[in-house]
Amino acid sequence: MTSLVITVTETLRYRGAIGQWSWALHRLSGLGVVLFLVLHVIDTSWAVFWPGLYEEAIASYQSPLFTIGEFGLVAAVVYHAFNGLRIVFFDYKPHLWRHQQRAAQIVLLATLVVLAPVFLLMFGHVLDFYRSAPQVLPLTEVLRAQLVFLPGFIAAIVAAVILSGLHGLVAGGGEAAASVQGSRSERFWWSFMRVSSLLILPLVFGHLGVMHVLQGVFDITAQGHDVVGTGLVNESGTAVEFVAARWNLLVGGVAVWRVYDFALLALVVAHGFNGLRYVLTDYTSHSPLLRRASVYLCMLGAVTLLLLGVGALLGTIDETAIEMGVAAMERLHAAP
Amino acid sequence: MDISFRIRRYNPEAGRSKPYWQEFTLNDVEPTQRVLELLHRVKWEQDGTLAFRRSCSSGICGSDAMRINGRNALACKLLARDVGPKIQVEPILGLRVIKDMIVDMEPFLAHYRQVLPWFVNDGPLPADGRERLQTQQDKDLINDSTNCILCAACTTSCPSFWANGEYVGPAAIVQAHRFLFDSRDTGDDARLDVLGAPDGVWRCRTIFNCTPACPRGIEVTRAIGEVKLAVNKGSSAGIIDPATIKQQH
Repeated sequence: MTSLVITVTETLRYRGAIGQWSWALHRLSGLGVVLFLVLHVIDTSWAVFWPGLYEEAIASYQSPLFTIGEFGLVAAVVYHAFNGLRIVFFDYKPHLWRHQQRAAQIVLLATLVVLAPVFLLMFGHVLDFYRSAPQVLPLTEVLRAQLVFLPGFIAAIVAAVILSGLHGLVAGGGEAAASVQGSRSERFWWSFMRVSSLLILPLVFGHLGVMHVLQGVFDITAQGHDVVGTGLVNESGTAVEFVAARWNLLVGGVAVWRVYDFALLALVVAHGFNGLRYVLTDYTSHSPLLRRASVYLCMLGAVTLLLLGVGALLGTIDETAIEMGVAAMERLHAAP
Repeated sequence: MDISFRIRRYNPEAGRSKPYWQEFTLNDVEPTQRVLELLHRVKWEQDGTLAFRRSCSSGICGSDAMRINGRNALACKLLARDVGPKIQVEPILGLRVIKDMIVDMEPFLAHYRQVLPWFVNDGPLPADGRERLQTQQDKDLINDSTNCILCAACTTSCPSFWANGEYVGPAAIVQAHRFLFDSRDTGDDARLDVLGAPDGVWRCRTIFNCTPACPRGIEVTRAIGEVKLAVNKGSSAGIIDPATIKQQH
């Protein structure tokens, strides 16, 4: 904990150049995106496993708190993507380091240039939504809905610490062997972070473009509105039908959106949780227990999200699920 | 010119267990005087308990690295006129402070030793039994990294090192670079193992604080990048394109 406090306070005090701020922003944006990823994958899996709860989650996403968060999310993804490209470039061309300050400025500028029209379009969706005099979930309801994640997070942390403790008891003197193994895997992960970022880039920009810019999160539950990327219409106006329309769309016998979402899920989960591991292990070096626990926590998080996500992507959403969505919608709208 | 000095003090022997800031004013300072001389004046004229390391006073020995106006530098290389009428001085960060500017360098030197910073070649001697020769082009690959004076300014400017003292750090990586890319040295395998470990070169997040901190102008982050590529490839051969080396002479 002290090493984290020192890093934060001294990063503010040390007069490093722009690279220091790029690094801080890269970390913060990455952490923010991973946090949302956890909520988002779990929420989305409910479309299959718990349709009623999925409607509530989307209603939360349409509340002002999440609207602010959505703008932050898009900004974080765009900055993280562009700055990541800068990092990858100088990793493979270290002799060009003299251009890194300029590159860091270009990253900031490019982020602003991309975000300006994107934010305008997103703001258009927000305006359209509020013009329709919608029923918005009150803040307390939204926060209450997110509270269910808290025990999950705590349980994951406790489990990681227990696993780490057991690991310490069993491994005992096996640290040297683990270190050699660790060095091979570190090399793999370094390359993976760079290669995966190039694959994630088009996928995540496509995903944000379709779900946040072309249409807004508000259109997910717009009755009689088209479901983006399918040519179908959302008859019931439920979020469940929206997901069903996308995931059940077959192009040449292939559920294209399921394949797309699977590729995005697998790459982003691996990239995101390995990034989280980098951050957590940087600040837990003084304690082998916490350092191992950080690794376990990231593994637990990644495996949980992959299981839930893949389970949902392999699941079916039928008429019954949509009916459950409709029932949940009615409950939500009846609520005072 | 007059200088107002703000110095981070720590002196547990004098009964103050916490670090604190102390202000000093110096009159009639020549703009071309170096910060080290100003520290001498404080010590000799105002407070004899002020402690700092210095030896050659000319940017060669690397003893007087400290954080001056928020950035690591050698006190003997900065002039009063460049750092201005207000000067703030504090010890480098990430190593235990013993007294005032004096930090415990042992963890830093332990990382240095970790990368086997000596010439390794168990092959037979050349026919004349004298020197192992290398071409000028081969020497150019390591020209920059041979300039390191182990002052620790780079390593202690690195947020990864602040957070994690186990990280081998920029200076040790520069020293490893000097031997990895030496055409006569054959110790790559052992060094690449050390640098490829979880607290080796991968803890570098390309923050670039180390490069401007180096009082010798070494391209530190570049050297780290080249070592990363060597670890990734498992060999230092062919990593550096000689055409990209800046000409020093």
